[in-house]
Amino acid sequence: MAVHAVAQETIFGLRQKIAKIEGRLAERLDGPAATPSEAAGVVLRHHGVAPAGDFFLPTGVDALDRTLGGGLPKAALTEIHGAETRDAGAVAGFALGLAGLIVKGNKPALPLLWIGTSEIFREAGFPYAVGLARDFGISPEALLYSETAKLADALWIAEEAARLSALAAVIIELRGNPEKLDLTATRRLHRRAQEAGRPVLLIRQAASAEPTAALVRFVVAPAPAAPRSTLAGPLAGSIGSPAFTVTIGKSRSALTGKLIVEWNSHDAAFQERQPPNTRRLVPLSRPRKDLAAAPGTVVAFAPAADEIAARRQPSRQQHAADRGSRRAG
Amino acid sequence: MGIGDARAMHPSIDVVEAEPEADRRLLEALADWCDRYTPLVAIDGTDGLYLDITGCAHLFGGEEAMLEELVCRLSDQGFDTRAGLGSTPGAAWAAARFRLPPVGSGEEAMALSPLPLSALRIDRDVRASLESVGLRTVGSVLAAPRAPLARRFGRPLIIRLDQALGRVEEAITPRLPVAALSAERHFAEPISHTEDIERLVLMLAATLKGDLERRGEGARRLQLALFRVDGAVSRIGVGTSRPMREPRLIGRLFHERLTALEGDIDAGYGFDLVRLAVLSSARIEDAQTDLAGDTIDASEDLALFADRIRARLGDNAVLVPVMVESHVPERATIAATFGEKPWGAGPGVTKPTPQSRNSPERPVRLFRDPEPVEVTAELPEGPPARFHWRRALHRVAAAEGPERIAPEWWRDKADAPTRDYFRVEDEAGRRYWLFREGFYGGAKTFPRWFMHGIFA
Repeated sequence: MAVHAVAQETIFGLRQKIAKIEGRLAERLDGPAATPSEAAGVVLRHHGVAPAGDFFLPTGVDALDRTLGGGLPKAALTEIHGAETRDAGAVAGFALGLAGLIVKGNKPALPLLWIGTSEIFREAGFPYAVGLARDFGISPEALLYSETAKLADALWIAEEAARLSALAAVIIELRGNPEKLDLTATRRLHRRAQEAGRPVLLIRQAASAEPTAALVRFVVAPAPAAPRSTLAGPLAGSIGSPAFTVTIGKSRSALTGKLIVEWNSHDAAFQERQPPNTRRLVPLSRPRKDLAAAPGTVVAFAPAADEIAARRQPSRQQHAADRGSRRAG
Repeated sequence: MGIGDARAMHPSIDVVEAEPEADRRLLEALADWCDRYTPLVAIDGTDGLYLDITGCAHLFGGEEAMLEELVCRLSDQGFDTRAGLGSTPGAAWAAARFRLPPVGSGEEAMALSPLPLSALRIDRDVRASLESVGLRTVGSVLAAPRAPLARRFGRPLIIRLDQALGRVEEAITPRLPVAALSAERHFAEPISHTEDIERLVLMLAATLKGDLERRGEGARRLQLALFRVDGAVSRIGVGTSRPMREPRLIGRLFHERLTALEGDIDAGYGFDLVRLAVLSSARIEDAQTDLAGDTIDASEDLALFADRIRARLGDNAVLVPVMVESHVPERATIAATFGEKPWGAGPGVTKPTPQSRNSPERPVRLFRDPEPVEVTAELPEGPPARFHWRRALHRVAAAEGPERIAPEWWRDKADAPTRDYFRVEDEAGRRYWLFREGFYGGAKTFPRWFMHGIFA
């Protein structure tokens, strides 16, 4: 703070001097050439490059962006929780979707660093570069892993990495709610992310919500994927784009929401899934049935059969289409 | 004589079992300690050391002063030493064992002549046969004609003679690699604090920088050797992914390493010699500095970060995936350490090709060892209907597959089983990658199911 005050004093003194030389009032002097978005006229540079003026990363899903107040804050700590270790795939998938959006936005391909403890990599699996490249657009040249035996080492690496602006994002994956990762540790991570201008994604598997310094917290659970869509309609029994149930636990605008998003690997973007049972505002007109139906025994309703049918095991005949493409071993 | 006879003569003698391994380790520790005098140290037999002090003697005040200091220090450590100085290894060997004054070059014949034949390093039976002929001293062997000697007693005798006299070059093979460049500092008062050592590293690195600049190179591997006053040596190595010569960057790497080794380095009474050596170096491209004098760019930043992590946590702390041409999933990518050049490192390592949409689906996470799963599936080749994994039952709602991946016949054994991979989704929406190893019916063993990966 003192440095800023001294700098301001110096600038003020210089302005007075320049005004005197030019024979004008100091207040009438032109301010420094300001970019339209920077009203204050101060431009922060890292290595001679000013980072993008936008603070938010739009996720592409309107409901999500609205609830978050514009999008995911880029230069901040974001937490992504999973309730059980079984959900590790969904949690990691959502985090990787966010990472894919971040990597897509960077013109020079900056690398992504994924830090995890040996424990979580053993339980949930090691990141597989082939899958990451195919589904999320993260090429192997732009990916770095770090696996440590101890949690303290992983936190240390994360803190050191959060300082670098040479990385596109830092993902750190932990299990549970360890004491080492308390409010001060997350505040340190958040501050370093802010200074470097890069996001830090903190993934917690099998954790409960606790107060942290993160601006945004997502709680992710798995969601059934919609079937693949073909020219002949949805292919029953197939598994389409990955889907996640995202609950916003904490955000800047204090709104919460729960929705199902899908990741479209073609466009590398999130999409929201319309809930299947959309109620029509106006009921379709249909001929009125005779209300006085013959009374008789009421048998149980058959519940909406569409969902169950979609989930049923495909019979052998339906496999014909993809059977033909099977290579002989 | 046996132990019984010895005990009979002196009832109170102490009998200790011989441990040649421990003796060998002690000798190697001594050889490491002698590194402070010269890097060219070799072990001779079971109880001797060769030190090649060409070019090092002036640092210690002359060859004889160096010899005296060496003997003095070794006897302080509790060893009974016989040291000899010679212009050839053979002459030095003889000088040590027969207490000769230093043998200069040209004086070998004169110095060795009166010695018995054991001054030459020849076999016992050759020696016995020479003595039976009447040649008992080195001088008499030198005086005898060469050709009949060679014919009768063999070539090795002549070679040993020539080596002792310096007619044939004999080089000792040093134990440790000789560093290309090193800077060291002796202390009258031993130092033991880590901060002092780190400051010293900065100073020594600044000394090395000048030489590296002149060669146009940067250091890739550095080693800090700390010699304790009582003879133990600690060596701390640091590797970098880019050649570097900036003292403060080198200092930072050693700071990380020393922090990681905090408890392991025992300073004892202190270190009285600290040496920083460059074990391997590489060409460095000089970049023009800008007006701020700052040449570090983003990729160097990342390289320095990775070096510091590796210095603190070991070489495998930061890994980079490298794609390999293989259709077996666990071999399709290998994790290489950051900074090593992956291209052309091994057979089948290629640059990554962008994955097309038509390539088969691959999971986002892969288990290093596929976990066994109990599956209920349609026979003989149907997808799973239910499976039991990690003590939980999962009911399958949708399945895709099978994708058949056969083993690589050029790498695996002939009876390696084929795998059929299935992408399954359970009722909650979790997606897994299972495979069945082997076929039902026909094969000798019942096929087993495994869980290999998890999809997003």
